[in-house]
Amino acid sequence: MALVVDHLVKRFGPVVALDGMDFRVEPGAIFGFLGANGAGKTTTIRIVLDLLRPDAGSTTWHGRPTAELPRRTWGYLPEERGLYPRMAVMDQLVFFAGLHGVERDDARRTVHEWLERLQLPEAARRRTDELSKGNQQKIQFIAAIVHDPEVLIMDEPFAGLDPVNSAILRAAFLEMRSRGKTLIFSTHQMDTVEALCESIVIVDRGRVVVGGAVRDVKRTSGRQVVRIALDGDGRADGPERLAWLDALPGVRVTRPGADYVELTVARGLDPQTILRAAIERGDPVTHFEIADPSLEEIFIERIGIRPGDSDELGPATAATAAPLAS
Amino acid sequence: MTVLPGAGRRRSAIGFRRNALLIARREYLDRVPTRTFLAATVVLAVVAVGLALAPIALRHLERETVVRIGIVAPDDNVAKASLSLLDGYLNAPPQGVDPATWQKPFALVEEPDQATAMSGLSQRRLTSVLVIERGTDGGLSFTFHTPESAASAVAQRVGFGSVGVGILDWQAQLPSNSGVGQFHPPAYAVVSSDPAAPSGPSFDPQLIANRSILATVLIVLIFVTLTVYGMWVATSVAAEKSTRVMELLISAATPRELLVGKVVGVGGAGLTQYAGIIIPAALVVLFQDRIAGLLLSPAPTGGEAPLDGLTLPILAAFLLFFILGFLLYALLYAAAGSLVSRQEDVQQLALPLSLVSMASYIAAAIGLSSIGSPLVVVLSFVPFSSPFVMLARVMLGRVEPWEIALSVAILVGTSGLILVLASRIYATGVLLYGQRPGVLAFLRAARTAIG
Repeated sequence: MALVVDHLVKRFGPVVALDGMDFRVEPGAIFGFLGANGAGKTTTIRIVLDLLRPDAGSTTWHGRPTAELPRRTWGYLPEERGLYPRMAVMDQLVFFAGLHGVERDDARRTVHEWLERLQLPEAARRRTDELSKGNQQKIQFIAAIVHDPEVLIMDEPFAGLDPVNSAILRAAFLEMRSRGKTLIFSTHQMDTVEALCESIVIVDRGRVVVGGAVRDVKRTSGRQVVRIALDGDGRADGPERLAWLDALPGVRVTRPGADYVELTVARGLDPQTILRAAIERGDPVTHFEIADPSLEEIFIERIGIRPGDSDELGPATAATAAPLAS
Repeated sequence: MTVLPGAGRRRSAIGFRRNALLIARREYLDRVPTRTFLAATVVLAVVAVGLALAPIALRHLERETVVRIGIVAPDDNVAKASLSLLDGYLNAPPQGVDPATWQKPFALVEEPDQATAMSGLSQRRLTSVLVIERGTDGGLSFTFHTPESAASAVAQRVGFGSVGVGILDWQAQLPSNSGVGQFHPPAYAVVSSDPAAPSGPSFDPQLIANRSILATVLIVLIFVTLTVYGMWVATSVAAEKSTRVMELLISAATPRELLVGKVVGVGGAGLTQYAGIIIPAALVVLFQDRIAGLLLSPAPTGGEAPLDGLTLPILAAFLLFFILGFLLYALLYAAAGSLVSRQEDVQQLALPLSLVSMASYIAAAIGLSSIGSPLVVVLSFVPFSSPFVMLARVMLGRVEPWEIALSVAILVGTSGLILVLASRIYATGVLLYGQRPGVLAFLRAARTAIG
């Protein structure tokens, strides 16, 4: 029993927004839904939330079509943030909870708890437009969970947050998971995905490119990454000193950092070869690590562009805008 | 956490009503307590009270203007009698006024013949003409030519004066001609050149006059409501889109709940403002004579009381067509608001709706003077014009109960269809950002939208 997205197809005129989107999310998991802008993430989310109907395919939660489930099953934090600017935070959140059928007193209690947890206890009586952008984002997060949904779906929840607020939100994610909730979110911050998610899918042009447990996805490339630090790294002649690494067959320097050097090792090449070569050269090795490629590298490799790169959609057109193909 | 009933996907009536009322409440509270709302209501109330006081000012002006009535009599005796009696009757100073300082409001002039008198009327030398003729039975008949309606105060007072002239004439014939018959009140007719004078079949002229004024006022009220508060609905939807709060709303409530809640909430706020504007003005109209008595000393008499025509059935008809008309138009305004991303674009998209309501208003206004014409009858059943035109017919014409029932049924049925259509447009439109879609592309999207 899980959230099953089963071969969704959705066209807007000549534009194919979803072309067989297919994945599943296990209950209680934190799931990363990754893809470049326009890959079909928002369209998929809108179909799961029954804001759109697919041309083909289905979405089910615990075996039931999502369109038949109560709206309060879902908590939704949309990519485009928005609240009633002149309304007091408490009134606003109680209003949203009320739309999901939550009694007023329960809603007020829940809001107070979450405001405390997100370090915003004084915000309850304030107007929304008096809050900073980051704090408004936290209020929106509460609006998405105030009715205690089973599944929380968030589109770019970390966008625009400073490191402190990001950390607070991450902690909130983990707490939601500890309560047995299922969390699905999209982001371009791959380090956050690696820190939080058990499993992910990377989507492109309306279909899944790769998916599964994070570790499995990272190993799909067959390549390995070596991080090596040599005594004397960071010296002025450092870059020249690394030339011998680039000259090794099957090895490519991908991050010539001052603290350590990151190398990509071709499939089939034993990473220990690099360590042996360094020792033979007489360079003292202070750090040597063999790891899987980062999700960012996998993303770039699979999609061909860097997440969040300048592939922004232009203004929505009739064909693509209803809804936006994210 | 306690979850109230009706929160499921398949909304029960309870769930639908609860959410629609929640949304309506939020809309209402978002508008009504604001300073802008209060300021606008006070300013408009002052304007409305000013307009309501205008008739008193006009009566004051009228009092200072001499009304010149030309009299065409069949002989000298009748001429003298009518000049004397009408002068005494029309120009009698009110109680408590010093006759020495009293300025006569009427000047009575004997005219040699009807042609000269009518020429004087058309050249504005005269304000009105009273033509007195002797019939074959020896009795007098009076015809009062006036630019005002038959129900005007002057026409009525001249009518009363005519009875007195008839009595004097009857008495004058008694001594020399003992064979004269029993006294019969003389015939009195008013020929009005007022183009707005209604030709209702069986109402008395005063009632027709009152209802005509009232119908105009009520139709204007409906028109103002539909356009002003309809725009409120449209801008409110557009504001939710532009602030992006719509994305949260649409995932928590159905488009139909959002639509109905918004229309009810904004409608409620509109009605509140309405009441704040209309009630003081209506009180002024209701107590016009007393206010005139306080402001103008001495109080002029014979003023019209427009609220006299307001009966309970008419008030019920007004409220019914007011609510149904607002519902129909507001739903369309909401759908229009959902199609734009910025509030500034609302005006442009709502223009066709404003034109439809304006055309209906004009049709009803014209229809007031030809209430029985086939076009007016047809328009009283067409949903977009029926709130205006059927109301006018109810007030001024003879309307069968089944006609009202049919008009209401068509209006309700159309509103139901519009609700379904508007929900689809809304469900599609609220997720639509960026440039406006073409009609075909939009219809394609709406076909699969969740209404």
